[in-house]
Amino acid sequence: MMWKLRNLDMEEAYIWLQRLSSMEKDGTFCLVVVPPSGVQQVDIVEDKGEEFFDPLREPNSNVVGSLDTEDDIGHPSVVVSTEVPGQENAKREWTSFKRFLMQRFPVSKMVSISAMSDGILRSGKGYEKLSMSTDPDELDDSQKFSEEGIRSIARQEYISRLKEFKEKFADAWQSGDRVTSLKLAIKVAKLLTDTSVGQFYPTLFVLATDIMEMLGDMVWERVKQKAEYAEDGTFLCSLPASFRADDVGLDAKETCNNWFCKIGSVKELLPRIYLELALLPCWRFLVDQPIDSIQRLVMMARGVADPLACSYCRLYIARCAQKLPSVDTGSLIRCINDTKHLLMHSMSLREGSQESSKDRRKSLVSLMEPSIEYIMRHIFQDASLKLLESAVVEFGLGNTEAHGSNPSISIIVHNLIKELPVDMVNSKTIDIINLIECCNDYTLDQCLNYRLLGFRLSESKYSLHIVTVVDRVIRVVSQKDMLDEYLKVVDAYVDLIFQNHMDDHLVKILDGISKRICNKGMVGDELACLQSILVKLLSHFKNLEDIFSLNHFLEILDMMYGRSRMIVNMHILDKATRGGLICDPTTIQLLFEVSQALNDSIDQVNVRDEDLQQPARMISRFIDKVSYGADRERHLAFLVECRRAFGSTNELKETLVHSSNSLAVKALIERKNHLDFLKSCIAFSEVTISSVTALVRQLKLYLETAEVALLGGLVSHSDGLVQSAISCMQSVDLVDVSRGPTDADETLNFLQKICGFLIILPGNPEKGAVYTPKSLFALLNSQSWMTPRMRARICCAMISLSATLSQKNLPYHASKSGIPSNDILFYGNSAYFGELVSFSEEVVRKLVDAIKQEPSPVARGSMALEACNCIALSFKMSCEISAICFELLEMARRGLGAKDRYLKSTINLMDSYSTSPQLCQ
Amino acid sequence: MVLVLALGDLHIPHRAPDLPAKFKSMLVPGKIQHIICTGNLCIKEVHDYLKTLCPDLHITRGEYDEDARYPETKTITIGQFKLGLCHGHQVIPWGDLDSLAMLQRQLDVDILVTGHTHQFTAYKHEGGVVINPGSATGAHSSITYDVNPSFVLMDIDGLRVVVYVYELIDGEVKVDKIDFKKTTATTAH
Amino acid sequence: MSPAMEIKLSRASRVYRPSVEPLEGKIIVKSTSSVSHYGIRLTVNGSVSMKVRGGSAGIIESLVGAVKPITIVSKSIEVKPSGKIASGTTEIPFSMMIRQSGDDNHERFYETFHGANISIQYLLTADVMRGYLHKPLSTTMEFIVESDKAELLERPVSPEMVIFYITQDTQKHPLLPELKAGGFRVTGRIPTLCSLSDPISGELVVETSVVPIQSIDVHLLRIESILSGERIVTETSLVQSTQIADGDVCRNMTLPIYVILPRLLTCPTSLAGPFSIEFKASIVITFESQLSKTHPKSDPRTPRLWMAMETLPLELIRTR
Repeated sequence: MMWKLRNLDMEEAYIWLQRLSSMEKDGTFCLVVVPPSGVQQVDIVEDKGEEFFDPLREPNSNVVGSLDTEDDIGHPSVVVSTEVPGQENAKREWTSFKRFLMQRFPVSKMVSISAMSDGILRSGKGYEKLSMSTDPDELDDSQKFSEEGIRSIARQEYISRLKEFKEKFADAWQSGDRVTSLKLAIKVAKLLTDTSVGQFYPTLFVLATDIMEMLGDMVWERVKQKAEYAEDGTFLCSLPASFRADDVGLDAKETCNNWFCKIGSVKELLPRIYLELALLPCWRFLVDQPIDSIQRLVMMARGVADPLACSYCRLYIARCAQKLPSVDTGSLIRCINDTKHLLMHSMSLREGSQESSKDRRKSLVSLMEPSIEYIMRHIFQDASLKLLESAVVEFGLGNTEAHGSNPSISIIVHNLIKELPVDMVNSKTIDIINLIECCNDYTLDQCLNYRLLGFRLSESKYSLHIVTVVDRVIRVVSQKDMLDEYLKVVDAYVDLIFQNHMDDHLVKILDGISKRICNKGMVGDELACLQSILVKLLSHFKNLEDIFSLNHFLEILDMMYGRSRMIVNMHILDKATRGGLICDPTTIQLLFEVSQALNDSIDQVNVRDEDLQQPARMISRFIDKVSYGADRERHLAFLVECRRAFGSTNELKETLVHSSNSLAVKALIERKNHLDFLKSCIAFSEVTISSVTALVRQLKLYLETAEVALLGGLVSHSDGLVQSAISCMQSVDLVDVSRGPTDADETLNFLQKICGFLIILPGNPEKGAVYTPKSLFALLNSQSWMTPRMRARICCAMISLSATLSQKNLPYHASKSGIPSNDILFYGNSAYFGELVSFSEEVVRKLVDAIKQEPSPVARGSMALEACNCIALSFKMSCEISAICFELLEMARRGLGAKDRYLKSTINLMDSYSTSPQLCQ
Repeated sequence: MVLVLALGDLHIPHRAPDLPAKFKSMLVPGKIQHIICTGNLCIKEVHDYLKTLCPDLHITRGEYDEDARYPETKTITIGQFKLGLCHGHQVIPWGDLDSLAMLQRQLDVDILVTGHTHQFTAYKHEGGVVINPGSATGAHSSITYDVNPSFVLMDIDGLRVVVYVYELIDGEVKVDKIDFKKTTATTAH
Repeated sequence: MSPAMEIKLSRASRVYRPSVEPLEGKIIVKSTSSVSHYGIRLTVNGSVSMKVRGGSAGIIESLVGAVKPITIVSKSIEVKPSGKIASGTTEIPFSMMIRQSGDDNHERFYETFHGANISIQYLLTADVMRGYLHKPLSTTMEFIVESDKAELLERPVSPEMVIFYITQDTQKHPLLPELKAGGFRVTGRIPTLCSLSDPISGELVVETSVVPIQSIDVHLLRIESILSGERIVTETSLVQSTQIADGDVCRNMTLPIYVILPRLLTCPTSLAGPFSIEFKASIVITFESQLSKTHPKSDPRTPRLWMAMETLPLELIRTR
């Protein structure tokens, strides 16, 4: 077996692609390319040596162009959105609102219901029973008010009964039995009077209104059909989308009127309202001003005294009003005002009651809130400016006298602020704040209104009264002793304070926070709020130094704990590592302390989230960014300090090794007093690596450090590190490694790479030049977990390594180290060659064995080709080599088929080496 | 005209804090259609940054990459060309053209882009073109710490490729250009 | 299979105004074989039937039985002379003037009404005479009569509204002591004259009430009087209840009264000689009380300790 002789240094047989420098006007040159052999696939284009612009710096760069097109795209999308019919949008919005309702109020397993609901649900169960019950009204009065009659029903059962109702309703309609359909719908509507279900009410509302909606659609379709087709089915006319009552024939009107009469005969108020709402669009068949009906229904809803039933009824009014062609903001405003009166009424009734009833009131308000929010949103959604002006006056804004006589309710003010258009928030700020000030009731904590106002004000860039408002809010809030309230409000105004450069407020706030924490300490919500404030602060300031120097900042930070502290710390580090290098020693020290706190908290805080891997990463970034300029010794000392502090975290130790290696290289480049320093760095790295527990990482770090040592000419250090890596692999039971495919891959990668490195690492004269490759090879035998593919690849790398080592000139050397390389040390040494040859023979045998062990024919085939290429490239063609290659090619052909392109190109290559295997036989 | 940015061996933040500012100011979103990266980024932030330049990002794994999910080799077809990508530390000896040509045959590509040596090279041989864009940050390599930051931009237009080499030498960006053409479209699939 | 016959009127609502418009429609005969006949006739019968049952409590002699009905109209025409109806479906259109002009010898065409004791009904019958061998074919359907347009009053420009007050002092029946002591005041407006095609619309405000309110309802009552011999027997019955307030509603908020008049169960207020039909609206406030729970459903007109009410006459008219 002999190696192929190659001129690795020059590679003259190949053509270096010529470069043409940009902006060089003179050099005209052509390339004439004569390919050495084979088919010419690539042709060098002749260049006239024109001046060229590189695409990244072309004057007319297409970045501007692409921005333009983005703008163009922006406009049509706006047009499209207005073209979408309002009805469809409203429907979609309603659907998602219903989903939100059901999610917001999850229901426990059992629902308590009144006897009346129970009766209705039972009646729905059997169809026969339904037809037997002569009058649905029979059920109610006697049972409705007997409170003893509260029963329990499983939520799932309630829901499935309602679904049954829905199906039966649809069935009855389909079979033309409209009386039964209507009766069922009435029963469902009656269920809505039962508010004893509490938490379940929103779900009930959604399910029941689904059936109402169905009824409405069906009646609409029926009347429309009557208007468009004669009784015998002949087509009369088609109603335009914006038809008028006059377009509708008498018959259709009669049918429609009948439906309203039937509904009108329902005794109970609430079901009657719901049913009429369901049919509301049908008013269009009868009159041109269906809005009158909405106004009446809004008034009628006042008759429902139960706050929960009433507010959901108003919610449904607001929903159904959207189905009419014109918007009636006035009615919606009246809905809100009526709700306000209702809340005030109930407040006057229940004032001064006990804790338990307070909770009940709170939960009632939270159940009612979605309705207020929805109606409020629709008041401001599409109202014109003029309407808006009058709307806000209705709510007590812009009319200072109104506050005394017409007080409002916190929860309503809250939703007003929430839904008010941002321009309005700005222009009416003073009024809003007056309004907030005079609303302090149980429906919502007053400070939440101040908070919301702050957030709304932050939405716009500029506000007229911002300074006055912030002053006023800060004054108000400074009288609040509770940390919780204080933080909630302040949190919303921090951004405003920054935007308007009200730095003295910032001082006040930090002072206020620190005072309040000192009194009482902090708990969950407060921590989260404080975290939010500090994060805003961090994002506002450009320099960390400025933040650190703020009064009380560090003190407040110190009082935080747990997850919030961790998050603030991470933001500090994030800020620190986002910029350039960190050079200021005080800052480095502070950040070091922050990192330490963070590192400690990794253990304390329950680490579960993926983002909690973040802390180690952030600290790593910080370490990477630290710079002591030319004072490398100081830097190394810092790394030592870090190792002491963060020694428990593997990832950080890795960073430290990388840093010290990088420090060593920097010193090398500067070339002053480097040797001792280099040795310190290498020593630091070596010690650190030995404590890294992840084996694969350890291997990589050893190799990197070995490379750096060799760059500095420290051959024995380098060799020692390589030996450490190998013994590391030997000593550890690698069965674990095989568990993770990436770990196995990385081990393979390491073994391949080390073969590349051994080319430049001078062989140890005492142990023999081939000692290290041999000990690597020995690993193959000891590591039973390796797959045939891995073994084959490693063998290939070793064959390439020994083939390279046999050359007169090595392809690369350890740069500038001035140490004698293997070619100088050993070329021409016959013992060395002999060792290499016998080593190679062994490896080739192992290689072929490994390939044969691969069970999959396809994998075996591609491995054989890889091996064949490697062998053909490394060895002179001889009968022995040819035979091996032939065997490998045959394996490949069997596995991959004769048409495989890689097989073909390999055969071409073999042909070019021109030793036919047949000749040997 | 399709612009393909090829770069690799950034070694951020261990061996270099960031890309050279001069490179950064040239690399802006919206210009480049594909990025191929030979690996050793090393951290996620670099990946994210490249993604902002161009969402079509192809990366192979270098030995120091944090993200172990990058593949060992990758092939991409752009227009008439089939490109192969590999970091290169696995190819022994490192940067050896014969060994790279072997890999190129294996991947069956027109253009093979590899890294690891941190030195820009571009070879052509009978099998096609082999390009090493160098290290975009000028990080030290296994062999040398004498490295100029460089990367490569390929302008693929029909059967023609113009390779622009951007190299930072003494604080100035020098741009060279290599032009070559494929005579047949046989290898592109 | 014997032939089947049905009448289909030109209006699905079956509402006609006899003095100004003919009754139109078709007779549909379905038969598998041809039917020979001696003529097809249509007959209209309209009558007021009255029954007197019982009396109010306290009257010993109890009058049960029917008073002789009053015929409003009885008229017959031949739609088709004798002949043959072909097999399959045959439609025979008709148009019939129920009231001839110049025909003064008739009762008034009262509107269709179905009350408790008085029923005003119009029936249309189609007969096919088929000789002795076959059973004659016959079918009957009711149609609804509304007042002739010519007789209609102009729609009242503004309905006559009456203002009512309901307080503890306006009640003639005893009240719960807490009601009496605490007091309440509910005021409102309600029309005393109302078109049948319009809802009764008024309003109502709970100004004060110390005892929480359970419900406020508007009951529509009808008063049917029948001249029976020398006596006039009057009975009041409930037509429809409509809840206006459910629960203890806010004070000083205007609640609308909106009651749609049920068809057929109402008709224009009529004061004829032998009978009269009148209506009243009764506003009933029910207060929350433990006592009320012990009394299950009862006639809402019965005064109870926990109820307050105000009953007002309501004249119903047919308008254009």
